[in-house]
Amino acid sequence: MLSIKIGEDIIYPTKIVCLGRNYLKHIKETNAATPKEPVFFVKTLNTLVTDGNPIVYPNILYNSQEYNRVDHEVELAFIISKTCKNILVENAYDYILGYSVFLDITARKMQIRDRNIKLPWYRSKNFDTFSPIGPRIVPTSEIEDPHNLDLQLEINGEIRQQSNTKLMLFKIPKILEYLSKFVTFVAGDIIATGTPSGIGAIQPGDVIKASIEKIGHISHGVLLEKVK
Amino acid sequence: MKLGDHTITPTKIICVGTNYMDHIKETGLEIPKEPVLFPKTMNCLILNNEPIIYPKFLYNNRKLNRVDYEVELAFIIKERCKNVLLNEAYDNILGYTVFNDVTARKMQVKDIVSKLPWFRSKSFDSFAPIGPRIAEIAEIDDPHNLNIELKVNGKIKQSSNTKYLLFKIPELLEYITKLFTLEAGDIIATGTPAGIGPIHPGDKIEASIEKIGTLTNKVIMEGD
Repeated sequence: MLSIKIGEDIIYPTKIVCLGRNYLKHIKETNAATPKEPVFFVKTLNTLVTDGNPIVYPNILYNSQEYNRVDHEVELAFIISKTCKNILVENAYDYILGYSVFLDITARKMQIRDRNIKLPWYRSKNFDTFSPIGPRIVPTSEIEDPHNLDLQLEINGEIRQQSNTKLMLFKIPKILEYLSKFVTFVAGDIIATGTPSGIGAIQPGDVIKASIEKIGHISHGVLLEKVK
Repeated sequence: MKLGDHTITPTKIICVGTNYMDHIKETGLEIPKEPVLFPKTMNCLILNNEPIIYPKFLYNNRKLNRVDYEVELAFIIKERCKNVLLNEAYDNILGYTVFNDVTARKMQVKDIVSKLPWFRSKSFDSFAPIGPRIAEIAEIDDPHNLNIELKVNGKIKQSSNTKYLLFKIPELLEYITKLFTLEAGDIIATGTPAGIGPIHPGDKIEASIEKIGTLTNKVIMEGD
């Protein structure tokens, strides 16, 4: 089992489930349709990195004109506290350990290409280091309302994404009710709730800082992959 | 998880879609230039003789009430690897097993048509039966010449041979590890041949691959 230390907590995630299209302004900027049900996809565990560690920009993307765009997406994530299935909205918080800052790094041109030819959204989301998370897990008891938190992303000190979790289309209890109809979650599983508008490209050499009110921030330098 | 005499601790399951020419023809999908990859999550895994659970809310929904079997040859990663070359591929493989990529077909088709991720249709609990054992690579001379078959209630529904794989195992491993790091125990399923079709509560599904064995799972209704 893979373990990861986030702040003071050690968790053993078995999956990362991410929501797409959960902020209206982001839906507009990507020309996507507004979903009637949550749209979700998974990231695999090779993508996880903790605060301070580099995001590695894959060479095969950097050197390909077809694929050379990699984007930041800041998101509020929540961590599951115990095994659960078929959770109801009213009990959702009983199964949540706490909240963290999450970056859903995405190979954008590859994602658009795959989506347009009706292929899975998978490879574009799952390069090593494409899921920074941290800097700590804030227990649910510390945050009265997770749907009223400012979130922000800076590149080299310039603000690129700035929003508030109150603008989420599907809220956390609804997300957990919906997802747990499909899959059993276990302690340590990570659910990322989608990104607001302002997505844009990152480049080797950049420093990415993602922050959420009452949680903190994570900072990651972007490094070009060294080829052996 | 225990597969025969081996205990593995997978961190991911990567499946290859549209990798047999006969299956590509029956689905009307395009012939891929690169392997088409999608994940299944750990909650899907069940062993030989454990039940496949048919989700009630699919069964009770006319738009979603079709769940299919897909027999596949899977290989298991031996140790952490990245950027594996074709000629080193087998050094990184522990062995082979039988895999059933159970799929909520109507849901998948709906999601594909809307250009949505292939996730929810593939990742219900119990939708990845695997086993009955891991045949080590030394046991199988050529993994690309194995008969592969699936029976529902004793009737043959899929019957093919792994020689019809479009992307072979070394190519798959080279391609996948260009993208991602794989860990010991990770499971790669190589795609299904033609003959896909529905399963129903009460069915007995037997998926077999020559030289590996037979993976048997009954289908039960969720809650029963």
